[in-house]
Amino acid sequence: MNKRLIFLGMAGTLILAGCGGGGAADQTEDGKTIITFINGFTGGDGEYMKKITNGFNESQDQYFVEESQEKDHYTKFKTGDYDLLLMHTDNIETYKQDGMIQDMSAVMEEAGISVEDFHPVAAEQVTLEDGVYAIPLDIHPMTMFYNKKLSPEAPETYEALLELTNTLQEQDPNLYATGIPSGGLPEWYMMTLVAQNGIELVEGNHLNFAQDEFADALMVYHDMIFKDKISPPGLGLDGEFQAFMKQVEEGNSAVQTATALTGPWYYQAVKEAYGDDLGIASAPELGDNPGVYGGGHTISLPASVEDEETMAGIAEFISYMYQPENLINWAESGQAPTHLATMEMVEADPEKYPLAAQNIQQFDSFVGAPKVYQFREQKKYMVENVFPQVVGEEGMTKEQLMGELEKATEEARQIAETAPQ
Amino acid sequence: MRISKTWSVLMYLPFLLCFILFLVVPFFYGIYISLHQWSVFGGNGGFVGLDNYTAILTPGNIYSNAFYNGLKNTLVFVAISVVPLVIISLALALLVDSIPSNLKVFFRTVFFISYAVSVTAVSAIFKWLFTGNGGYVNNVFDTFGLNTINWLNDQPSAWIAILIATVWWTIGFNMILFINALDDVDQNLYEAASLDGANSWNKFMHITFPSIKGVFVFLTIITVIASFNLYGQTLLMTAGGPSQSTQTLIMVIQQMVFNQNNLGVASAMAMVMGFVMVIIVAVQYAYSFRKE
Repeated sequence: MNKRLIFLGMAGTLILAGCGGGGAADQTEDGKTIITFINGFTGGDGEYMKKITNGFNESQDQYFVEESQEKDHYTKFKTGDYDLLLMHTDNIETYKQDGMIQDMSAVMEEAGISVEDFHPVAAEQVTLEDGVYAIPLDIHPMTMFYNKKLSPEAPETYEALLELTNTLQEQDPNLYATGIPSGGLPEWYMMTLVAQNGIELVEGNHLNFAQDEFADALMVYHDMIFKDKISPPGLGLDGEFQAFMKQVEEGNSAVQTATALTGPWYYQAVKEAYGDDLGIASAPELGDNPGVYGGGHTISLPASVEDEETMAGIAEFISYMYQPENLINWAESGQAPTHLATMEMVEADPEKYPLAAQNIQQFDSFVGAPKVYQFREQKKYMVENVFPQVVGEEGMTKEQLMGELEKATEEARQIAETAPQ
Repeated sequence: MRISKTWSVLMYLPFLLCFILFLVVPFFYGIYISLHQWSVFGGNGGFVGLDNYTAILTPGNIYSNAFYNGLKNTLVFVAISVVPLVIISLALALLVDSIPSNLKVFFRTVFFISYAVSVTAVSAIFKWLFTGNGGYVNNVFDTFGLNTINWLNDQPSAWIAILIATVWWTIGFNMILFINALDDVDQNLYEAASLDGANSWNKFMHITFPSIKGVFVFLTIITVIASFNLYGQTLLMTAGGPSQSTQTLIMVIQQMVFNQNNLGVASAMAMVMGFVMVIIVAVQYAYSFRKE
């Protein structure tokens, strides 16, 4: 009997040991309140965020920010217990509807900042119907890197890209103006043309891809590959970056591009490869108007955070972080801050912050992700199935494309219906 | 030495406890969740009966589309991978078994060492090898004047690349088990067969294979299970592409949990996947030992 009791006791202890968490704030050995901050900055920008959090920790005797940089930080967040969450702008609506984050107005007020301190496009992204659900950090729009040896000037229009590719093809048939990938950034390519053509994708609570204008816009990429040879065919996952980094060699089938329309996170790699021959420019105008799409980082407050001491610590950290002399570290990483006072510092010294300064110029024409529930899932069929066909199948017609766009819309509609009531 | 009953129980307890905590409880908890509307963050949204199962099995909705696509892709990989993973490892084991014993350890280690490499590293290496634009394999093709292949962006080349990576990565494990089985085969049988004039093929078919048949069936079964669990290679080498054709059921379930937050549907998918695996393994088992 006793043995059975011991066994049950051991099993019970083990099970209950895994059920901890929550409650009051944790403290360091020297009595500082710990603020746990999870983000996905596992690349080169991670050390610059560390500079900010380390700077805050050194300045503090009351609070300590424990920063976790995780590759898949959303998964960690959902299965863990954190006080601050790095959030991409396209996720804000979903996380809000799922009840995972809370209004940050009170924290912002406590920290002495407001949405008016940010570029209007960034402020608009974090402001939902009933509150401000994140604090903007940066916008990373589609960026053009160009190899000055192949293209002394950045091509700004479709015609300029066409002219460039014709010139390059005369030099070597494996040289192209730019590369359109089938995987990685199709969302950015697709949405940049949505922005440039003024297409309204949102219909009610879901994305409606089955639009004539949208099909026409997508066929531009098809033409760039199969009609005008502006891009080589068959570029796969992250192919725009890989083709830009390649060097054509005689007798080799590898292709090289003079420009890359890609994410600014590749800056360190392209800078290392091209040095002074690297140029940075805005995304070219392929549609009717200027416009560019991309992502944005923000900082969100998980719904589970209630402790007053933790809230006060978060406000203190936010207040420190959004001092321009501290946030400028983020610009040094290549990211373009959306905080107006920090933007001024960047623009005053474009030589020190070349990438951030260039991308800030794109803010006025930037269009962010539509505020719909599960945006990433709603556009998934488009990105993973339809776009690869557009850029991969030479015989693809607009009629075939419309059929696929209808399927993508139906998927998006069903995803939207899964929103919590 | 006799071990007392108490000691036996104590020694056995840690396993039993882990078995209950990490297998029995999650299994029944998974069944329970699959019968509920359950969000990762929001928790239990109420009992829905078999609705989650109906959703994934009835064609024409987002859940069944994802489920059937994932299941189809997984079955494709099982179909193309099990034979090479078992046969090549058996061939390697026979090869290693036939070389002088002082070289056996060296080659056994060489063939097994790839199994110690993480899936991340394996996928990174093979992604680099099979990159369509200027990858190593295509550069070799260029050198020999062959047409290059867009390995990871077209089918069936994407599956071929994933299969080669998987074979290279996991072949050592099966091979080691085959070598151990071969070591247990009675050498006198070979000598007797030689006296009777049996050739190598006859010896393999009538002595070696019947002697290692148990291990062969066991390895075939665990290879089927391992192939069903394909995840890392497709995630890192092709990201489920081209056009979701390498998106496996495990990837679909993971996305259902962490992207759509739908633990109820994901659990139902996992249960159906488990059921399919049990059926396949049972058929395999019954077929392998049908004469007995």
